[in-house]
Amino acid sequence: MKDLTTVIRLLFKEKKDIILSIICGFIGGITAVGLFSASGYLISQAALAPPIYTLMVLVGTVKLFGIISAIGRYGERYYSHRGTFTMLSNLRVSFYERLEPLAPQIFQKFRSGDLLARIVGDVETLQNFFLRVFYPPIVLFLVFLCTISFTAYFSIAHAIVIFVGFLLTTVLVPAFFAVRQRRVDEGLREKRGKLSTEVTELFYGFRDLKIYQRMDEKEETLNQMAESYVREQEKARIHHLYSESLNTFVSLAVSVAVLGIGAYLITEGTLNGIFLAMLLMISLTVFEDTTSMAIFPSHLEDSRRAASRLSAVVGNEPTEVQEKEDLRLDSSPEIKFQSVSFTYSEEERKTLTQIDLHFPAGSRTAIVGPSGSGKSTLLRLVLNFGTSVQGDILINGEEIRKLNEESIWKYANVVLQENHFFYGTIRDNLKIATDHATDGCFVEILAKVELSHFNLDDEVLEKGANLSGGEKQRLAIARAMLKNSYLWLLDEPTSSMDSVTSTRIYRELFELAKDDTLILVSHRLNGLEKMDQIIVMEEGQIVEVGSYEQLMKQKGYFYELKQIEQSVFHG
Amino acid sequence: MHSWKELAQEHKGKLILMVIFSLLSGSSIIAQAYLLVYIVNEAFLQGTAFADLLPYLALLLAALLGRTLFNYGNGKIGVRLAALVKSGLRSQLLRKYSKTNMQTAMYGRSGEKVSVIMDTVDEIDDYYSSYIPQVIQSLIIPIMLLITIFTEHFTTGIIIVITAPFIPIFMVIIGFSTKDKSEEQLDKMAAFSGKFLDTLQGLTTLKLYGRSKKQKAEIEESSLNFRDATMVVLKTAFANSFALEFISMLSMGLIALEVAIRLIIFQNITFFTGFLMLILAPEFYNKLKELGNAFHTGRGSSGAFNKLQKELDLPDLPVEWGSYPLEARKPPAIALHDASFYYEEEGFRLDHISVDISPYEQVAIIGKTGSGKSTLLHVIAGLVANTGGEILVNGRVRSEYDESSWFNELSYISQHPYLFSGTVAENIAIGGRTGATREEIEAAGEKAGIAELIASLEKGYDTPIGEAGRGLSGGEKQRVALARAFLKQPSIILFDEPTVGLDLRTERILQQSIKELAKHATIITVAHRLHTIKHADKIILLDSGRVVTVGTHEALLKTNSDYRSMVSAEQGGEQR
Repeated sequence: MKDLTTVIRLLFKEKKDIILSIICGFIGGITAVGLFSASGYLISQAALAPPIYTLMVLVGTVKLFGIISAIGRYGERYYSHRGTFTMLSNLRVSFYERLEPLAPQIFQKFRSGDLLARIVGDVETLQNFFLRVFYPPIVLFLVFLCTISFTAYFSIAHAIVIFVGFLLTTVLVPAFFAVRQRRVDEGLREKRGKLSTEVTELFYGFRDLKIYQRMDEKEETLNQMAESYVREQEKARIHHLYSESLNTFVSLAVSVAVLGIGAYLITEGTLNGIFLAMLLMISLTVFEDTTSMAIFPSHLEDSRRAASRLSAVVGNEPTEVQEKEDLRLDSSPEIKFQSVSFTYSEEERKTLTQIDLHFPAGSRTAIVGPSGSGKSTLLRLVLNFGTSVQGDILINGEEIRKLNEESIWKYANVVLQENHFFYGTIRDNLKIATDHATDGCFVEILAKVELSHFNLDDEVLEKGANLSGGEKQRLAIARAMLKNSYLWLLDEPTSSMDSVTSTRIYRELFELAKDDTLILVSHRLNGLEKMDQIIVMEEGQIVEVGSYEQLMKQKGYFYELKQIEQSVFHG
Repeated sequence: MHSWKELAQEHKGKLILMVIFSLLSGSSIIAQAYLLVYIVNEAFLQGTAFADLLPYLALLLAALLGRTLFNYGNGKIGVRLAALVKSGLRSQLLRKYSKTNMQTAMYGRSGEKVSVIMDTVDEIDDYYSSYIPQVIQSLIIPIMLLITIFTEHFTTGIIIVITAPFIPIFMVIIGFSTKDKSEEQLDKMAAFSGKFLDTLQGLTTLKLYGRSKKQKAEIEESSLNFRDATMVVLKTAFANSFALEFISMLSMGLIALEVAIRLIIFQNITFFTGFLMLILAPEFYNKLKELGNAFHTGRGSSGAFNKLQKELDLPDLPVEWGSYPLEARKPPAIALHDASFYYEEEGFRLDHISVDISPYEQVAIIGKTGSGKSTLLHVIAGLVANTGGEILVNGRVRSEYDESSWFNELSYISQHPYLFSGTVAENIAIGGRTGATREEIEAAGEKAGIAELIASLEKGYDTPIGEAGRGLSGGEKQRVALARAFLKQPSIILFDEPTVGLDLRTERILQQSIKELAKHATIITVAHRLHTIKHADKIILLDSGRVVTVGTHEALLKTNSDYRSMVSAEQGGEQR
């Protein structure tokens, strides 16, 4: 529940919409009650042949209430939705505020790609919090409060009956079902997760399932799991239906009580018969909205879960960023690794073991090795993305963990394997790198990375979906070139380009970076003759270090990899 | 989407039951109204003693209970119906996918299909569990109410008949005038809604360029724009409900007025009739409102229905099998005669493939990326059906052979072998014929060079791997796949040679193992190594889905200039 208080706090920023929704909701509800009670009274009066003006007043009231009620409902819907969406916007901003200082370390912690999609989904789920959980009970309470007071004026007994009904339909019945709801939901989630995993396995393992003749078995298992998932859903649905029906029945039963007590009081002579129809109409109408309380528990539960998942990611308060020293550079830096080991939090095996390395200032280093050998991780450690590293990484003799990460990034021109491109234009995506460049500058850079066929105003879709792999890499390189600071960290920057383009782009890059410190992770082994040193890695360890000539002469690991690569036939 | 006609055919019993429940529920509502009015009338005007009213109160309670129960029953049938339909659809989809989804995997659409089975199927739930029961109720009950109203008091009936049609008319008018506008807004909404995710996904990039702080304002702006766009669309929906409520409120006011005037001025109806009208009319309008909501729900499901229909309509291209057993004393001769394959009319196709593969032959398939090498391997494996021509095994059409006797002779070593959830031992054993002993499994592991790795694990061969368990590196997976082949000892091996990225050790083991396995088998390789190609008995050069030429390395060097230039470029090595 604590996690929801954060949401509530954000909610209160939109006081105006909250108050307006409550007022409109109240007006809509109370006038509907008024309308029906007035018509009940009207008909009873009419039966006694009253003077015509009484009738006219009543009819007028009925009509007026009708119109006001419809307008009230409209206003309620309008303001509550507007409030909800404004709240969502606040929520996004607040979430971003809390996430921003934690990134990108936090992505390191949760390596699964669906984390972000889940976050976005959870934020969306919270829209139901205001709309279905927060304000409707308040409106309901106010409407009941007024109705009960009004009823009490005519008959205390009726007021009590309606009050008891109110407690039953809005508190007791929903609370009873809320407990069971949680259990049902848990079962459902578990079944769904299992089915989803198995279905995924069907697709990714299709070839092997088929060849090893396990397909029928798999289909059978899947069918069973799908069946049990559907059963669980059915159970949840019926549970829902049951709680709704029970709620309806209780509210209808209250009307029977109202009627019975009314009839009794009339016989006793303590209630004027003319009010009986009115009281009945009141109770029939006022309980109409309580059915919505039947779904209250499930919305509450959803919101609670979404809120707690969000705060599990970012916490409830903006994180205090520790004051660290800033890195200051006015020439290319020197970097040292001193017995560095690193393990990803959800893995058993070390990704890097006992790494000792030296990247002299202004040097050019290539890291090579089989996939999964820890090349990219090593590169990322320089950026201080990883949280806990054993051993020391030093930039110009300063321990990296004591440095403010952002001050390191300021000097780093980074191209990662996955580079993000934003929805917008080519210019928008280049502008991220620099504030001061002119369009001329951008065009020049695009020419350097052989993207002259693009216009600065050309559209880039989300994640650069409309660009080819090679184009994305070149655009990312263009961005890094625009930044042009002292440290280059490049993770397979040309893997999707053909070797001719790749060679030309490396030439441009190396020319621009000739005085800077450059670290390049490469899966290809050719073109490495110009590097000052080559680091060969396998299974998180350094196998060999040396220049191209040294390594080739040594006839060790690098030499053999090179032999294999030379015989690879790309067709 | 089931049309009502289909629905009536397939789930007749359930529909009839829903109709009966709706009729009963309608009767309960009418009984409830009569009893309410009767009791009020007796207590208020007739001065009947409370004790005499007790039986009627009990009846009223029974009517209410009936109303709730029948309603519940109706909903429950809907839920059951939804469950049945969903189960049916899932098993239809599973059937389809387990037959032909190699194509899906080949075209990289697995994620999409998972979402079809999981989410799209769930999206149709509302149609059966809410929409259908609601429509049946909303068609039957208002008519029952209207008939009752007409028989009791004709004028009220007339008022309702005149005002009720205004509701759909109003909705249509509002709908039309705002339709274009709201569609435009929906596009805008779609563009905005991605913004937050886009920013989160790009957070690393933003931070590396020191831009992340500025994004706050942008998120806020785009969220508020999103809100405004959404509100425009919602206003239409709200205006619809407003119209509905306004009209129903107005007509109820009219009914009250008419009833009151008749009661007082003309004095030609009783209190009983008048009050009954006041009770029944709101019930009528409420049911209409529910119908409106139901239509809304129904519309939401139609997108999902179309998607499912499209999925089920995709051509089913199962590989055909017969019952003839494949005798496997030695590897079979395989021949492709003018074989072709395509998945989508417009898409990539393999055409006119004719190749003879003799027992123990080593065949290398080469060609540029996208020339159809892997597809050809899949066709030979019997994982996808050839859409034309024929495939002969020992001179007999392959579709006459028994499926399992074919796959028993086959191993496929891909670049990305799949590990099932289970232990290492189970994952190796899956390759063999049933009943492999632990010794045999361990021997296979030894040959594939994973014994050492497995020994380092706490639980050894019983260590869980795959989805649930400990992740293995690419090289290690490759070696588990080899162990499967060693256990199986197939007579046909299909091998997708790795391009780059393997560690030296796995690389060596792979070379040796294939050599070892080749002693007893025909090997067909999608080749990336010059070494493999040079030593092949037969090289198949593919280009754009067609065989350019077939021959040995020496022969092709002489006859094919493309081949010559490909080979010399590679041997030149440093072509940068």
